[in-house]
Amino acid sequence: MVIENIKLAFNAMRGNKMRTALSLLGIVIGVASVVAILTIGDSASQSIKDAIAIGGLDMVTIYPSPGQRNTGIFNEEFASMLRRDVEGIDVVLPQNSSMGRIRVSQEATDASVVGVLSDYGDALNLEYTQGSFFDAMDNINRRQVAVLGSSVAEELFPEQEAVGRYISLFRNQAKNYLVVGVLKSKDPTFNLSYDDSVFIPYNTYSQRFIRTTNVGAFVVKVTDGFDTIAVSDRITEYLDDIVGTDGYMLFSPATLAEMADQITGTFSTFLALIAAISLLVGGIGIMNIMLVSVAERTREIGVRKAIGASPSVIRGQFLIEALTLTILGGFLGIVLGSLLSFAVTNLMDWSLHLSYASFILALGFSMFVGVFFGWYPAVKASKLDPIDALNYE
Amino acid sequence: MSDHVIALRNVSRYYVMGEFIVKALDGVSVSIKRGEFTSIMGPSGSGKSTMMNLIGCLDTPTDGQILIDGEDTSGMNEAELAFIRNQKVGFVFQQFNLLGKLTALENVVTPLLYAGYRPRERRRMAINALERVGLADRMYHRPNELSGGQKQRVAIARALVNNPSILLADEPTGALDTRTGNQIMELFDEINSEGRTVILVTHDRELGLKAKRQIYLRDGKIEV
Repeated sequence: MVIENIKLAFNAMRGNKMRTALSLLGIVIGVASVVAILTIGDSASQSIKDAIAIGGLDMVTIYPSPGQRNTGIFNEEFASMLRRDVEGIDVVLPQNSSMGRIRVSQEATDASVVGVLSDYGDALNLEYTQGSFFDAMDNINRRQVAVLGSSVAEELFPEQEAVGRYISLFRNQAKNYLVVGVLKSKDPTFNLSYDDSVFIPYNTYSQRFIRTTNVGAFVVKVTDGFDTIAVSDRITEYLDDIVGTDGYMLFSPATLAEMADQITGTFSTFLALIAAISLLVGGIGIMNIMLVSVAERTREIGVRKAIGASPSVIRGQFLIEALTLTILGGFLGIVLGSLLSFAVTNLMDWSLHLSYASFILALGFSMFVGVFFGWYPAVKASKLDPIDALNYE
Repeated sequence: MSDHVIALRNVSRYYVMGEFIVKALDGVSVSIKRGEFTSIMGPSGSGKSTMMNLIGCLDTPTDGQILIDGEDTSGMNEAELAFIRNQKVGFVFQQFNLLGKLTALENVVTPLLYAGYRPRERRRMAINALERVGLADRMYHRPNELSGGQKQRVAIARALVNNPSILLADEPTGALDTRTGNQIMELFDEINSEGRTVILVTHDRELGLKAKRQIYLRDGKIEV
């Protein structure tokens, strides 16, 4: 019976193509906007997260406040203390940095000079276009070696191999550093790329650049399988106890990503709700077309009743017709919405993340609209008096 | 099972028209035996349509009892009446009342759909019914591709397909030329001779006299 009713629904639609198309338009537009908004929202949020992830989603960086310089807490021992006391930390890498002027014969550029341990490269999954990171012996022996960010290398060695050549770093006096590696470029989103940095061994930096045992920053790598946000919350708690909330700053790409996700999520949900209103308006269109259909087919309803269709059968027939309409509209809307999302994400240079949840949501909602707005016309049809209906001209 | 396939006991049907009450049927009692070929005759407004609607369970009486195959239909609800219409009554109308978007076969299948038969069984029964009225070769035609006589044959096949106790025909030849009308009347004769109760509602005296029994109505009462 359901199959026959679906066939009948398609018969009715074929009989009035233009009218059907116009009344479907509301549902199509409603579903398309819900799908497009949720999909575009997902894609935007994903591309923001991707951008943030360049900074390492399993990384948390602790910056001691300037006031902590002389308290002696944030010294090199702090790294091992933190790793011991807070669960879920793989390594803690101390780093120091400052801006410096770098020269190669006539060429000069400003860069952030960063002193780090040799395992920094592996911990951050750095990739190289030339050479590699320096090793532990370079650090222990305070060798004057450097790994260049891609922009720095580009600037100083525009058309030649940088590895094996020397740069001059000025601090009190100019010293020459041997270039051992050049980093691959990363998208400079959220200032999290290393393109403008020059990495030198931690101990070399300590000897050449500063005179205290305080550390400028600690890069914490979270152990695989641990939630970065949870670990960063634990670190916050731990540090609040020791130095108070003002004693440090915490930077965690994962936390940023979560915030971005929440913001885009809230925003697209809000927009989708507005789009859902247009779906409701589409439902009124469906109700209108169904009322017209019932009126036009009064005589048919009379005949069906005369040959034994019960009220529930007639109601079912018109409900299925309304549902068929809205499901068809839902499918067309999903196709249109996906095309729209494809166009927009393409334009914005985001990667497309089709929101399958929105497909189900939109289809479910349009089916609900079909039942909700189809109910009244269907009940009206089922309650027609068979004699009146048969005599209807 | 009762010998009387239809029994009306003191049946009245009143309509309220503004401030007036129209007594379309006024205390009518009549019984029709199984296998009878009866015509209900009378001028327009005599109550014959009302009587047909009541027998066909399209309507319920204001007062009195109607028994179809021994079952009292007076207190039935819409769904129960629909079931009786589906199982016990086959309607043939003056204007054929076929479903225009369906083929002849689909039209004949429809009552079986409501009766809950399986697709294969429905098809077999519908083809049999169309063969019975001599239209097996037109089963995939739509009503607008059929002549008046052919349409009425499809309607008769649809009325008979669920093997009802009663065939109710309301001016079945009214929209047909004399020759075709006669052929349809012959078909009713045949159907009746197979043992089915046929009730013909008509204002045409000549046509009504072709039935074996006549019931005359005037002003909502049976004329003796």
